[in-house]
Amino acid sequence: MTSTRRRMLASAVFAVASLSFAALSPAANAQDSGASGFVQGFGNKLVAVVNADSAMPAKEQQLRPLIDQAVDVDAIAKFCLGRFVNTATPAQMSEFTRLFHGVLVNNITSKIGEYRGVTFRMTDTSMRGSEAYVGTVVQRPNNAPTNVRWVVSSATGSPKIVDVVAEGTSLRLTQRSDYASFLSHNSNNLDALLAAMRRQVSTGG
Amino acid sequence: MRTSLLRSLLAVAAVWAVSACATKPPASDAAATAEYRDNNDPLEPTNRVVYAFNDGLDTYVLAPVARAYRWALPDVVRQPIHNALLNMTTPVILINDVVQTKPRRAGDTFMRFVINTTAGVGGLFDVAAKVGYPYHDADFGETMALWGVPEGPFLFLPVFGPSNPRDAVGYGVDVAFDPLTYVPSGHGLRTFAAVRTGVAAVDARSQVLDEVDSVKKTALDPYATFRSLYRQNRESTIDKVRTEDRATVPNWYAK
Repeated sequence: MTSTRRRMLASAVFAVASLSFAALSPAANAQDSGASGFVQGFGNKLVAVVNADSAMPAKEQQLRPLIDQAVDVDAIAKFCLGRFVNTATPAQMSEFTRLFHGVLVNNITSKIGEYRGVTFRMTDTSMRGSEAYVGTVVQRPNNAPTNVRWVVSSATGSPKIVDVVAEGTSLRLTQRSDYASFLSHNSNNLDALLAAMRRQVSTGG
Repeated sequence: MRTSLLRSLLAVAAVWAVSACATKPPASDAAATAEYRDNNDPLEPTNRVVYAFNDGLDTYVLAPVARAYRWALPDVVRQPIHNALLNMTTPVILINDVVQTKPRRAGDTFMRFVINTTAGVGGLFDVAAKVGYPYHDADFGETMALWGVPEGPFLFLPVFGPSNPRDAVGYGVDVAFDPLTYVPSGHGLRTFAAVRTGVAAVDARSQVLDEVDSVKKTALDPYATFRSLYRQNRESTIDKVRTEDRATVPNWYAK
């Protein structure tokens, strides 16, 4: 079948489908627009803090509650520890999660904190399983526009960000491979990782 | 100049062939084995040596030059330079669009070259993007991926950075596709081609100054982080081209 005919067929199917779905699945649509509205709201607050004229420490203080509120940091922390979740003691796990909060806030601040005049616009939203992928284009001065997808999960009852995908690179996947590689070069010693993270948090880097 | 570059690439490949390999974890450790496979980096020890070399080169030469470039020239000067450099890569992109059998992307690239070279004053201004022909990149590594050629093991190439055999060969083919590779000597054409290569390197580096700084500052293992970023980014770019299927007939006809 040529792609033209496939296209025609697809649009016919889509027309019929959208007619019936419009009536049948308001839930899916609501979830969809709920996630995109949530990201829009979070984005607006984030941009307001970033673009403000305040100093970096003040910005960081404002960012922390914002991130804790909108981002499922615990879930991301668990994901990033990967297979070491099974071998970590409860004490190590809670210390890791605590430090991860600090590292994440530092990373976000160092990525966007020094900019003024950051803007973003919303693009398309799609569902993959139970997670919504909300598309945005972020514009920072002196930089090319970046495609950023926010992965929103409602598994905890309210919408929370569980991943950020910038130009096809996922924050949680990248972070997980960083930790995994660090651990494999430190004889899989979780305490070495915790020590390194503690240094990162205390130096703000 | 380009041929000597290719020759040194081949020499590097020969060194790799006889160099140290990463120790594979024992088969009894399933999770570690899965991680080893996912990283796709059997040449990791050698790659790390090359990474350290590139990192030094970048820290002391390329990054300072790129920083100076961004500091000395305002955005209104750098942007036209960037545009002109992109315009000069259009022939290579067009050939790849065509052999990827993506007619709409080839059309975009062709229209960009015509519009930007004329109305855009030799490519200095990206007029085409404003009238509905946005920029996209295409390279022969991507083309081979669409043809089903596997990426092969991860490689960290001297000067060029993260790659794999498919993308490295693709780069060589792209150089062969580039009309500027074949400029005759005289009339300063060779000099022009060499200057373009140099400025393109500085421009490309200046585009990612903040990103690279941020990784070096925040990653515990920058090498592993760059490896992950490169592979994810390539995969998503290839996926984007693969799923691109805009119709080649006007909307009114398709309906």
